[in-house]
Amino acid sequence: MKPRIAAVLLTIAIFASACGSASTNVTGVAGDIYGGECADRVDESVTVYSGRAENLLAPVLDAFQCETGIDVEVRWGSSTDLALLLAEEGDKTSADVFLSKSPGPVGFLESKDLLGMISQDVLDLVEPQNRSAEGRWVGFSGRKRVLVANLDAVEDSELPESVFDLTDPLYKGRVAIAATNGSFLDWFTVFRDQFGTETATEWLDAMVENDAHSYANNRAIVSAVGLGEVDMGLVNHYYNYQVAAAEGESHRAQNHDLGDDDIGSLLIITAASVTQTSENDPVAEQLLSYLLSTPVQEYFTNETFEYPLASGVALNPVLPELVALEIGSVDFDALGGGFEETLAIIEASGILNQ
Amino acid sequence: MPGLLKLPQRSPRKSGPSFVLRSLSMIVVIGFAFPASYLVWRNFTDGGQPFDLLTSRRTTEPLIRTLKLAFAVSLTSMLLGSCLAWLTARTDLPLLRFWRVILPVPLVFPTFIGAAAFIRTFAPGGLAHQALGWVGIDAVLQFRGFFGAWFVLTLFTYPYVYLPVSSRFRQLPSSMEESARLLGDAPFTMFRRVILPQTAGAIGAGTLLVFLYTISDFGAVQLLRYDTLTRAIATNQLANPPAALALSLALLILAAIVVSAERATSRRLPTFGDTQAGRTVRYSLGRWKAPSIGLATLAAGLGVVAPFVALLDWASGALNPGSRGLTVDTGKVVDATWNTLHISVLAAVAAILAVLPIALLVGRYQTRGGAFAHAVVISSFALPGILIALAMRFWTLRSDVAFDLFSDTKALLVFAYVVRFGSLAMGVTLLAVKAVPQQLNDAARILGATSFRRFVSIDLPLMRPGLLAAAGLVLLSTMKELPISLLIAPLGFSTLTTRTFSSFEEAFVVEAGIMAVVLVVLSFVLSWALVLRRADDL
Repeated sequence: MKPRIAAVLLTIAIFASACGSASTNVTGVAGDIYGGECADRVDESVTVYSGRAENLLAPVLDAFQCETGIDVEVRWGSSTDLALLLAEEGDKTSADVFLSKSPGPVGFLESKDLLGMISQDVLDLVEPQNRSAEGRWVGFSGRKRVLVANLDAVEDSELPESVFDLTDPLYKGRVAIAATNGSFLDWFTVFRDQFGTETATEWLDAMVENDAHSYANNRAIVSAVGLGEVDMGLVNHYYNYQVAAAEGESHRAQNHDLGDDDIGSLLIITAASVTQTSENDPVAEQLLSYLLSTPVQEYFTNETFEYPLASGVALNPVLPELVALEIGSVDFDALGGGFEETLAIIEASGILNQ
Repeated sequence: MPGLLKLPQRSPRKSGPSFVLRSLSMIVVIGFAFPASYLVWRNFTDGGQPFDLLTSRRTTEPLIRTLKLAFAVSLTSMLLGSCLAWLTARTDLPLLRFWRVILPVPLVFPTFIGAAAFIRTFAPGGLAHQALGWVGIDAVLQFRGFFGAWFVLTLFTYPYVYLPVSSRFRQLPSSMEESARLLGDAPFTMFRRVILPQTAGAIGAGTLLVFLYTISDFGAVQLLRYDTLTRAIATNQLANPPAALALSLALLILAAIVVSAERATSRRLPTFGDTQAGRTVRYSLGRWKAPSIGLATLAAGLGVVAPFVALLDWASGALNPGSRGLTVDTGKVVDATWNTLHISVLAAVAAILAVLPIALLVGRYQTRGGAFAHAVVISSFALPGILIALAMRFWTLRSDVAFDLFSDTKALLVFAYVVRFGSLAMGVTLLAVKAVPQQLNDAARILGATSFRRFVSIDLPLMRPGLLAAAGLVLLSTMKELPISLLIAPLGFSTLTTRTFSSFEEAFVVEAGIMAVVLVVLSFVLSWALVLRRADDL
């Protein structure tokens, strides 16, 4: 009756297999990180679990693959999910390297003895406060917590000095939070660490009471604030620069720094680690030092507007200098243990349904 | 020759199914029953207290929200789908052919893409918001929570009611309606007494699909922030596995109750023959013409045109020169398209191979084992995708053997798709098997053809059209699948749905738009080629 259906399926197969052969050259942004000829493929590979977004990190990994000839396999996801997945997989995991948006998830894995030691050469690429004391993870870029606000909907006089102000009725229904996002989780764990769990939980409950909105992540908040969907949001500083660079004048939002000594101005660093099963794996170490190499650190500050952590890399001139207080003020090693409890508090607060 | 004379006495029907066929069917049944059984088993062996967890607030609250949403969506989809079916099947609605083509089309949109389109369109900067702005309304419609989920799911699931009901309306013989009117029934009484009882079965079956779809939907409620069971399962699956297991048990029980309730009621409904007796009565709409056109326009406009325009609007952002770090990589689009197509074709082929032995058992030998196997496969249509994904994930994580063999493999993904959509292929495949005249097989057997040769040269050619149609149904459903693809796709394997979903969550709207447009267009073209075009009564 229908040989045509067979023809359709066959056409799909042919069309699809024709499309299957994608090009292998590095172009675009990855080409800025490494512009040379791609090395011949070597018989080595590295599997990365990346909590950092694909759109921002893929160029770095593409450049690494091209420059070294090492095959890179990636699982993209949220840092939280990937850390929990690594904990479940244990020593069965195929992951060699875990990249996290923040220190909490790596600290959590460190506390479960699931991370390997990183060699001193790699650790020494950053200042001691930007790596774990045990030497099992290393920071590779910095991001500051800020309040992003819509230019039209928020008066300058309304901008708060502290996150504690946001529970005020003035901000009812106007503030967005990315409650399951790694940066927020870690920020909240530090918050608990410094003010006590009770105060932190009260603050979160008051935010829920004040109709704070929950978004999937920082980028979604910045985009929504720029459009005026919500007036302001607690995010990392660099998303606003990225979205503004992409959308220009039509993006109606700007960063507002909360007080220099406010918990809302914390610096959160991204962290790279090697899994326990791949400890001493030279390829994994090679990838970590690549992340801290000058071209990649320049990419982080110039293209994604983050703070470089390797010494000797110039800060993107559009970014404000960090105040000394913000650096090294927090013991990131304390974060790992609070990770699961923070997740439970956030789930119980009901913020996820807002 | 005595041997030859004996042959005709040995009726081929009496020879039971071969050992190979029975073993194959057994394996398939175990495969289909595995995910649900595994979840139940884990619930009672993981050291949690499933009954305490089942009755705790963390489970009951999402359960109540799920029920609220499912009933609301079922009710509105039933009304909308049935009304539209009536209009296109039995009235003098203008542009009839156009409506018949466009009204089933919302089915080509995965619901989460529909949800994304509406969220973004009504948000400031979205098309609808701008349009409202031009007429002087500066309203920010928050497309969130219950209202958003109900609205979106109704729009994109009403075709599940519309399709079976309109085909039923077109089969009804005019004789009873004419008799009723001659005997003095007012039009409404006639509708209630004559037409409704004859279509209740089709309406019920369609509404059941809508209900099951709603309780299993993950993508739309996730984007719309309405915390149903599926969303709670996804949130908890790694952070709190016992809670995720208890939630999945609640969802499993709910699906089972709904299916058994439907079976029980449909048995009590009066049955009518599928008389395709010539002509059906067409009623004149009269003064209802304008509102009827309005309703059809609204459904098609909101369910097809608006979301598609919204997606094109996002995708067109690729034409603006943006920051280089954020531009779309065509390689990724090609890659995702290829992944989607080839994995869907694999799933379709695997599904046919899986259900064929059972179809042969049931259609040709009518064994009790076959009937049982058929029932297992058919009831798996109520099993939400997220439960299959969760079972597979826990299984590969907790069992070393399963981890080594299946973790991060396409085989696991294809297996999950087959369990999810195999039931769609079952019915059509069974019809195809029954369409092969038994006499041909008997004749070939007498002429000495081996069973393999009979299968290849008689059964397969005759069943081919049916098998391809069944494959088409599985292919289309797999293309649009989200939760399974999201949770258990191998390392680095993204499909159009997972790309669209994660790009939208990350607010990379241009990329989400391009991926979604490719998916929707592919899905439309294939639906047209494989399914809709063959519907004889368009």
